[in-house]
Amino acid sequence: MAEVRLENITVSYDGKNNVLEGLNLKVNEGELLALLGPSGCGKTTTLRVIAGFIDPKDGHMYCDDRDFTRIPVHKRNFGLVFQSYALFPHLNVYENVAFGLKLRKMDKVTIEKKVTEILKVCDLTEFKDRLPKNLSGGQRQRVALARALVIEPELLLLDEPLSNLDAKLRLNMRVEIKRIQKKLGITTVFVTHDQEECFSISDKVAVMNGGVIEQFGTPEEIYTRPKTEFVARFIGFENFIKLHKVDGVLECADGTKISVDDSGDKDECLLTIRPDDIKIVADDYKGENVLCGEVVVRTYLGKSYQYETMTPFGKVVVNDASGTLYNTGDKIRMVLDKAKIVLV
Amino acid sequence: MKKGGFITIVAVLVFVFLMFPLVIIACTAFNTAPTISFPIQGFTLDWFKNVFATESFIDGFKLSFTLAIVATLLALLVGVPAAYALSRFSIKGKKFLKNYFLSPTIIPGIVLGYALYQFIVLTLKMGVIEGLLIGHFMVVLPYIIRVVGSSLEQFDFSIEEMAWTLGCPKIKAFFKVVLPNISSGIVASFMLAFINSFNNIPISMFLSGPGVRTLPTALMNYIEYFYDPTVSAISVLLMIGTILIMVLVEKTLGIGALTK
Amino acid sequence: MSLGRYLSFFSDTYYLNIFVRTIRVSLICTLVCMILGIPTAYFISRTSKKVRGVLMAIAIFPMLTNSVIRAFAWINVLGKNGIINQILGIFNIEPVSMLYTEFSVLIGTIYLFLPLMIITLVGVMENIDNDMMEAAESLGANRIVAFFKVILPMSVPGIITGSVLVFTGALTAYTTPQLLGGPSNMLMSTLIYQRAMTLNDWTSASVIALIMIVTTLIVMKGLNYVASKLDKRGLE
Repeated sequence: MAEVRLENITVSYDGKNNVLEGLNLKVNEGELLALLGPSGCGKTTTLRVIAGFIDPKDGHMYCDDRDFTRIPVHKRNFGLVFQSYALFPHLNVYENVAFGLKLRKMDKVTIEKKVTEILKVCDLTEFKDRLPKNLSGGQRQRVALARALVIEPELLLLDEPLSNLDAKLRLNMRVEIKRIQKKLGITTVFVTHDQEECFSISDKVAVMNGGVIEQFGTPEEIYTRPKTEFVARFIGFENFIKLHKVDGVLECADGTKISVDDSGDKDECLLTIRPDDIKIVADDYKGENVLCGEVVVRTYLGKSYQYETMTPFGKVVVNDASGTLYNTGDKIRMVLDKAKIVLV
Repeated sequence: MKKGGFITIVAVLVFVFLMFPLVIIACTAFNTAPTISFPIQGFTLDWFKNVFATESFIDGFKLSFTLAIVATLLALLVGVPAAYALSRFSIKGKKFLKNYFLSPTIIPGIVLGYALYQFIVLTLKMGVIEGLLIGHFMVVLPYIIRVVGSSLEQFDFSIEEMAWTLGCPKIKAFFKVVLPNISSGIVASFMLAFINSFNNIPISMFLSGPGVRTLPTALMNYIEYFYDPTVSAISVLLMIGTILIMVLVEKTLGIGALTK
Repeated sequence: MSLGRYLSFFSDTYYLNIFVRTIRVSLICTLVCMILGIPTAYFISRTSKKVRGVLMAIAIFPMLTNSVIRAFAWINVLGKNGIINQILGIFNIEPVSMLYTEFSVLIGTIYLFLPLMIITLVGVMENIDNDMMEAAESLGANRIVAFFKVILPMSVPGIITGSVLVFTGALTAYTTPQLLGGPSNMLMSTLIYQRAMTLNDWTSASVIALIMIVTTLIVMKGLNYVASKLDKRGLE
């Protein structure tokens, strides 16, 4: 098990534009770190730098304080699971899993013992003679995982491993990966663009955008306290309202005063809040942080209704589970939960 | 992508091997020396003049070109509907037919030429031109059916059915919907068939008659008796033709179309 | 036609020699095309799309060039006054007669069919996901091991197809042995033409033609059988 550090990693494919820009990242021993971001943000590139497929133009990668930057892929002993799984089609499940062990020149008995063991952990024992093409998506996924784990890697790298599975299987595999990872205590880096997947599985999250890490923290920190507009938008904040400071108090464009716990030190900022953290209140409601809007669209979400409303400073979306129905054109009053307001 | 040094070295040597002889004849075509020799002594276009002054080459080119065009067009006329039928309907003996169209790899050209000679020339006593046309037609037809067939395999026939439901008669739907969508396959098969007919030797060797020679057989005949750079010059001209065709294919379909 | 004629073909040492030579040339040609074609095709398949297009065009070009021209080119290289002997002459080495030997036929045939092998193999290899190579590397294989353990086994169908095409092509090629082999290095195809058109010996020509077809069929079926044996694991 290992601790991994990236220091000042810069990567460029064409020599001009940098895909990664002075990236710093640390994964503690036994931790599962998720790299989260939209496609093209550099998360897969980061993973490929760690794996050793890409030589960074600048910077270093350390594994337990040993400099790994120039160590070739096949000497790193990192387990890797590809999005495509990359199972060898000419080898059956057993041979796929045994591939790495055979390269390590282990004797037959040891190989058999280790493969049998990991197949059991991954629930694959009964499929060991099958070829990859005769396996379901979930089974292939587990073979890929078993093949990466059996070499007892210092580090496990997962590149969007769940994105080719259907929704239900994805939930199961998510739990499965977490279980195996904790059981073996293996340091893991997990690349995903799915925020829900990322929060449910990881110990730490790095949200990436344009080749840099926008925010690094625990899933809870990121979910409740996004630091930038990009992070907020990416993890599901929908309402963004421009605020400016008048005599130390934050106001909307139309003068509505907004009270928050910490108003920050910027003169202008963006207020953001999730639709779930806004409540629709009666017309006679007296209190802070009340906005008025007119219902434009009503959408039924199952457990609640979502209203898209138009306010003097733009669109505000609110989820309402109270059961009172409002129609298009209705004027409603909404209160923002002071504790849930985030300024970016 | 990093690559092994060994593989790179082999690949470079192979490409040198592939290009070297052709570059050599291209050089000799412009050499003043009357025999093919190195190093180059001086620059001349005389050998090209000689090409155009040699009647058997000019006549051979005209014959080869016409033959290739006509045989290919005939083969398209038969081959496209045949390929369509093969991929659209489940006909009895479909497998047999498909095998037949793979036959050029089973029946050697030299054997086909010999068989056609016995049948067309000796038994039916047909004219030379007709015989050549039938022979070349048979050589190119399988190319047409295979290439058009493979592009029909990519074609989604529900599009054709959609046209029917919109009130398009079947024949019209074939021309308006199916043909435009396999046009690149047809062009590729045309090119491939044309080149194969134009370059064919075994069939033409057997079916040529007195005074009627295709360009390759005329060339072959010439080489057996003369050894001068005229052949280099004509090679350069033909290679330029090949390059033009390749550029044309690359611009329209991508060069990969010729390797299917 | 009676069976006796076929038996007499194989008991006639002149014919038998030609038959064996034809098989030998085709076999060596196939092997050389394989050995040269596999690394080259792998090289091509790993280049970027743009470069691959150019390399493929260079590989296809000789294939689209008339076989008379291709044979003629080798006459210029291997002939008595050809390039190689001229170069040898610089070092005062006596001219070597390479033309009209089995060697020149072999070179010409390899030249004829190497592009076919390369193109067939590229078709298979470019569909092998680069992830396969990377997966093997991450499991501890260096590039050479990964190539032999992953890429090569996955290319087997292409290698078989390419070999069938090259072998049968070499077995039946006419122009190249005619121009580069001369009368003392006849192959089956040149023999057919000679028997039929020069000697008007129709019976022999027919016998040879049939033997040629049967040999082609046996080789195709044989290699496909080997392929299906190797392939019982069911490559996709």
